[in-house]
Amino acid sequence: MYPRHMYKPDGFKNVEAEGKVIGFQFDTRIQYYRGVTLSIIRNIEVCVDGEEFKREDIRFTLEGDTFTLDEMETVISYRWKFGQFATITVLKDGGLAKGKHHITSTQTIAPSYMPVILVHSGEYDFEI
Amino acid sequence: MAYNIKRSVSLYSYQEEYYLGKLSLEDCIREVAKTGATGIELLTEQMMEDFPVITPEFKEKWFGWMEKYGTEPTCYDAFLENHIYKNRTCTLKEQIQMMERDIKMAHELGFKTLRTLVSTPMDVIKGSIPCAEANDIKICIEVHSPFSLNSGWADGYMELIHKTNTKNFGFMPDFGIFCKSIPSPLREQAIRKGISMDCIKAVDEAFENRVTKGFTKIKYDTNLGRAHHAYMEANGLPQLMEKVNKLGGDKKALDYAFSTFDYTWCDPQDIIDNIQYIYHTHAKCYYTNEAYVETSIPIKEVVDAYKKAGYHGYLSTEFEGNRMLNDAFDVDSVEQVRRHQEALRRAIEE
Repeated sequence: MYPRHMYKPDGFKNVEAEGKVIGFQFDTRIQYYRGVTLSIIRNIEVCVDGEEFKREDIRFTLEGDTFTLDEMETVISYRWKFGQFATITVLKDGGLAKGKHHITSTQTIAPSYMPVILVHSGEYDFEI
Repeated sequence: MAYNIKRSVSLYSYQEEYYLGKLSLEDCIREVAKTGATGIELLTEQMMEDFPVITPEFKEKWFGWMEKYGTEPTCYDAFLENHIYKNRTCTLKEQIQMMERDIKMAHELGFKTLRTLVSTPMDVIKGSIPCAEANDIKICIEVHSPFSLNSGWADGYMELIHKTNTKNFGFMPDFGIFCKSIPSPLREQAIRKGISMDCIKAVDEAFENRVTKGFTKIKYDTNLGRAHHAYMEANGLPQLMEKVNKLGGDKKALDYAFSTFDYTWCDPQDIIDNIQYIYHTHAKCYYTNEAYVETSIPIKEVVDAYKKAGYHGYLSTEFEGNRMLNDAFDVDSVEQVRRHQEALRRAIEE
């Protein structure tokens, strides 16, 4: 839908907890033309420099609250608004190395009326 | 017949600029007013921040904007999210409640019509009619390509209108059913993706054939996927796929060929035949050139049918060309809407 404008250019960074780098994160917009409850986001896939990450290692943060992808399936009181950035965190010990990287992220969304489920990807080059 | 055709804009048209934070909701309304249109159509799920809650602050701003810019609300576009839970479809009762929520919101924001999607189950509409009557809202099922009027699909809903004798349920055609050719930016996007000119030509010829021969219309089926599949088969999808394949077309070429079945040409007489049940219209557009010509939809021919039929209502611009451009270019929705409104104005007034 909006692959060229999917990522926030300055949103890419490693994440620390208790003095250790536990992963990396980035900010992304929905690839659909309206806002939706988190329950219809069926999947978010992340691949950096050819490395694909596991579904259970992905976290979704909206307005300060964080969910796993499985948890999102029952969330109907938070809406990912149209044009709003959400933060995706990928758990990966040590995070990403300093320097240039290439990301592909794919959103799978299941709006009720579509006979098919929407699967939209976007790619981006970034630096950490 | 006497007609009173007014112009509206669906703010859906400005989604690209809104998404990128270049236009706010108020900016969109101001842009509509600049075109001379007086109607505002809104997808609350797209541009109303606190959806599904109408805060007192929002309501005050909303009506303030209507006054400031000399506009009025026309159509509220609803989405029946009946698969909001992954493990089950909402029950009929839940779906009616969702519809009633939207009807009440539409009324509170001053809309007169509510767009419901082609997929809305008949029983949900039937169960929502009392609420629509109480709130002075006309529920309009969108006649969105490849669905059409005077079809097996439309007959089912027409029967509901006759059975209930209601004035609060009808149709809203979308001009995507009046495509005489494949939208030019869609074809250009396909070329940009590297699809060979032989394949492009074959897809164009197949579309032309369908227009000349007349499209086989879609039937009513509670299974939307099945109805869609049967429609494509009846209109020559397998033959076209085979041809594109023979021409060496790859997956991208086949996907492009497939996507052109989303556009149809219906006889504008369909409007005249059904006019008493048409309460709103999406004047869909993909690309309007500098000479104010929509390159795939013959606006004058379609608007003439509305005049002949004696239509009293809005034609609401719905620009959807952004997704055919934004893979490579910045999109100027404001200019596209301006041109399309001028084309509509000419067709209505001249």
